[in-house]
Amino acid sequence: MMNAIKENNNLIRPTPVDFETYYRICNFLNYEYRLLDEERLNAWLELMAEDIHYWMPGIENRRRENPLQHGFYAEDHMAFFDDRLRDLKRRVARFEQPSAWAENPATRNVHTVSNIEAYAGGCDGEFIVHSVIQSVRSRGLDEQSVIYGRRKDTLVRDADSFKIKSRLILIPNATLTCKNINTFL
Amino acid sequence: MGNKIKTIDVTGSLDNLKDFCDIEEGRIAGRIFYDQAIYEQELEKVFARCWLFVAHESQIPNTGDYITTTMGEDEVIVIRQKSGGIKVFLNACPHRGNKVCFSESGTTRGFICNYHGWSFNVEGNLVGQHESGVYEDSNFDKSKWGLKEVAQVDSWKGLVFATFDPDAPTLKEYLGPITWYMDAVFDNQEGGTEFVGGCIRSTYECNWKIAAENFVGDILHAGWTHDSAARAMLGGSVAKVSDFSESYSVNWNGHGYEFALDTVGNVAVLGESALNKYVHTIKPSVADRLGDFRSNMIGSVSSCTVFPNFSFLPGQNTVRVWQPRGPNKMELFTWVVVNKSAPEEVKEKWRKGAMMTFSPTGVFEMDDGENWEYCTKTARGRVTAQQDLFIGLGMDSLIKDTQLPGNVYKGQLNEANSRAFYQYWYDMLNSKSWAQVPNRNVGKLEGE
Amino acid sequence: MERVFLCKVSELEVNQVRKVANDKYGDIAVYNLGGSFYATADLCTHATASLAEGDIEDDLITCPVHWGQFHIPTGKAQGFPCEIDLKTYSVEIKSEDIFALIEADSELIAKG
Repeated sequence: MMNAIKENNNLIRPTPVDFETYYRICNFLNYEYRLLDEERLNAWLELMAEDIHYWMPGIENRRRENPLQHGFYAEDHMAFFDDRLRDLKRRVARFEQPSAWAENPATRNVHTVSNIEAYAGGCDGEFIVHSVIQSVRSRGLDEQSVIYGRRKDTLVRDADSFKIKSRLILIPNATLTCKNINTFL
Repeated sequence: MGNKIKTIDVTGSLDNLKDFCDIEEGRIAGRIFYDQAIYEQELEKVFARCWLFVAHESQIPNTGDYITTTMGEDEVIVIRQKSGGIKVFLNACPHRGNKVCFSESGTTRGFICNYHGWSFNVEGNLVGQHESGVYEDSNFDKSKWGLKEVAQVDSWKGLVFATFDPDAPTLKEYLGPITWYMDAVFDNQEGGTEFVGGCIRSTYECNWKIAAENFVGDILHAGWTHDSAARAMLGGSVAKVSDFSESYSVNWNGHGYEFALDTVGNVAVLGESALNKYVHTIKPSVADRLGDFRSNMIGSVSSCTVFPNFSFLPGQNTVRVWQPRGPNKMELFTWVVVNKSAPEEVKEKWRKGAMMTFSPTGVFEMDDGENWEYCTKTARGRVTAQQDLFIGLGMDSLIKDTQLPGNVYKGQLNEANSRAFYQYWYDMLNSKSWAQVPNRNVGKLEGE
Repeated sequence: MERVFLCKVSELEVNQVRKVANDKYGDIAVYNLGGSFYATADLCTHATASLAEGDIEDDLITCPVHWGQFHIPTGKAQGFPCEIDLKTYSVEIKSEDIFALIEADSELIAKG
C-alpha cells in the first residue's frame, strides 16, 4: 500500500546496516517511544534534528486509475502533521500548559515500534529506517483509541546516538477512528 | 430523466419535545443529544429537507470530476456535468442498492456497479448492464432506472449546496442575509476562493448539534477552553472578547455568524506573521469591494454555522461539516479554504496553519473534542438527560434600530445565535411542511 | 464486395459519429475525424453497447457502457475491458454520399 516508500527504494538498491548499527537504531527508536509514554516531551524534542520534517499526510480513498502524487496522499494536500521544529515545540508547549484541560487527568500512552528495517542513507552517517508503529491511548475510565501506521524515518548519527531528520507516517485510515491525535507517532 | 426525488415524506412527531427544548424559557436538555427517536426525526425532517453543503466548486472543476460525501447519513455523489452544471446523485444502485462509487474523489466517465454491472454515465443515466439482453427480454425501460437525483442543487460563491426536498425554499431564500456576512470570507477578493486539496476526516463520540452550535455563536468558550493552545501559539491568553468595543451576533433561519471587528484576531492564533501581513495587505481592497465594516471581519475573532451542519472560521480558514452518525456519533470533515488570488506561499501557510490549530492534531481542537463528547455522554443518564441546561445569555440584546441585515444582537458573548439555532431545529422537527415552519426572523434582508 | 450507403457528408459534422442500422452485417458506426471518414462495426466487442453513443477523443472511440476504447482507423482495442479488435470497413465517398465497402465474408463474421 505504501507507494512512495516503494518508489524511493527502487531508486537505489538499499544496503542494510551492520548488526551493531541495527541494534543501536532499534534501541534508539524504543527509547524515543518510552520518552513519549513517560510524557518526557522536551527530552523527546531533543531527538529532533534542527531541520526536522515531521509529516503525516491525510489519506485519501482514491481509485487506482486516479492516483494522487503518491497514490493516496500528496505533499500539497491536507495533513495531520506537516511540521518543522518550531511547530513541534508549539505542540509540546500546549501539552505543558496547566490549562490543557483535556490532558488532566493525563492520557495514558503505550507506543510500540516493530518491523524495523535499516539501510544506509544518502550520505555517511545517515540511515533510512522503515518501521511499523502502534499507538494505544486511554483517557478517562473507559476510552481507548488505537492507531496503526507505517513509518519511514531518516536518522542522522549524533555522537553515539541519532537525531531524527525526517519522518513520514502513513496510517491506513482515510477516516481517523477517533477524535484527535493528542500524541506523537 | 424523471429520476429526481419527488417528495420527502415526514412521519411521526415528538409530543414532548418542548420539555427538552424551550427556547423562550432559555433552556434545553441533554436528551436532545442522546435520544434515538429524536435523531431519527432529525434525519427525516432536518437532513432530508434542509439545504446541505456538499462541495466547493473548486474541488470539481472539469466534466466528470466528482467527490462523494453524505447528506445526513445518505451517501451522495457530486459530479460536474458536460454542461458545466453540477448534479448530485444517491450513491446507491437502483437495482440492489449497492454503493456505485467507492472513492472519495476523482475523475470518471461514469459509475459501474460492482454487483451486476449496471453502468451509469456522468448524467446519471443507466447506459448498460452486464447481460443486457435479459433485461430487454423483460421489457425493461432503462430510462426509468438511472441514479436517483437530488431534488435541488445550487451554489453560492463557490459553495455547493443540495437539498433532497423539491419543496424546500430556494437556496437564496434559505440562506437569507447571512450571506452578506459570509462575503467577508468567500468574496473578499476578485476570483473568490478555492479549497486546498484533500479532506481530513475524524470521528467524535458526540452529537452533531453540539459542534454546530459551538460555531454558530459560542466564542464564550474560547477564552477558557483554548487557553492552553493560545499560550502555545501566541505565548499569551486568547484576546478577551468582552474588551472589544463592538461585536455582534447575527442570525437568520437558524444560521448564525458571531463576530468582532478586529480584522486579524482569528488569523493571529495561527502564529504566522506572513498571514497577518496578507490580511492587512488586502484589507483596503476588501474595503473597496465590501465596505469598511466587512473589511474588519476578514480574519476577526468570529465563527459561523449555516444550519444545520456547515461551519467555518474566518481567518483560520477551516471549513467543516459535522456529519451525523447516530445521536451520539459524528464524523467531522474538514477542509481549508483560501483566496484563489492569494500568493502560493500564503495558501501554503494557511494549509499548515489550519492543520496546526483546527484539525484532529490541532492544538485548539484538542480541547474542544473532549468537551463535546462529554456534553453528549452525560446525557446517557436518564435523569441527567432531563436536567435543564441554561442557554439564556443576552435574552434582551436584539438591536432593533440597525442598518445591518439579519436578526442582529449586541455582542458576541451572547447565546442569541445558539437559541436561534435550536429554535430553528425545533421548528423543523415540529413542521410537516415548509409552510408550517414559523418565520421568526425580525431583522431585514440585505439592501432593505 | 458490397457497397453500403451510410449517410451524406453533410449529415456528419467533424468529430461526430452516427449509427447506421444494417440487418445483414450488423449496425455500422460512421465517423468524421477532422474531415476524414471511417466506418466500424457499431457493436462493442466487449458487451452490448452502441459505440455511436460513445465519445470521440482524438482518434479513439470510447464505449459508453464500460469506457473501453478502440482506435477508429484500425479498430484496435485500446483499453480495459476491451480485448477484441473492432471490425473496420473501407469507406468510399461518391459526390455527397458515404459508403462502406464490405467484403463478402463479413456477413458470416457479423452473425458469428
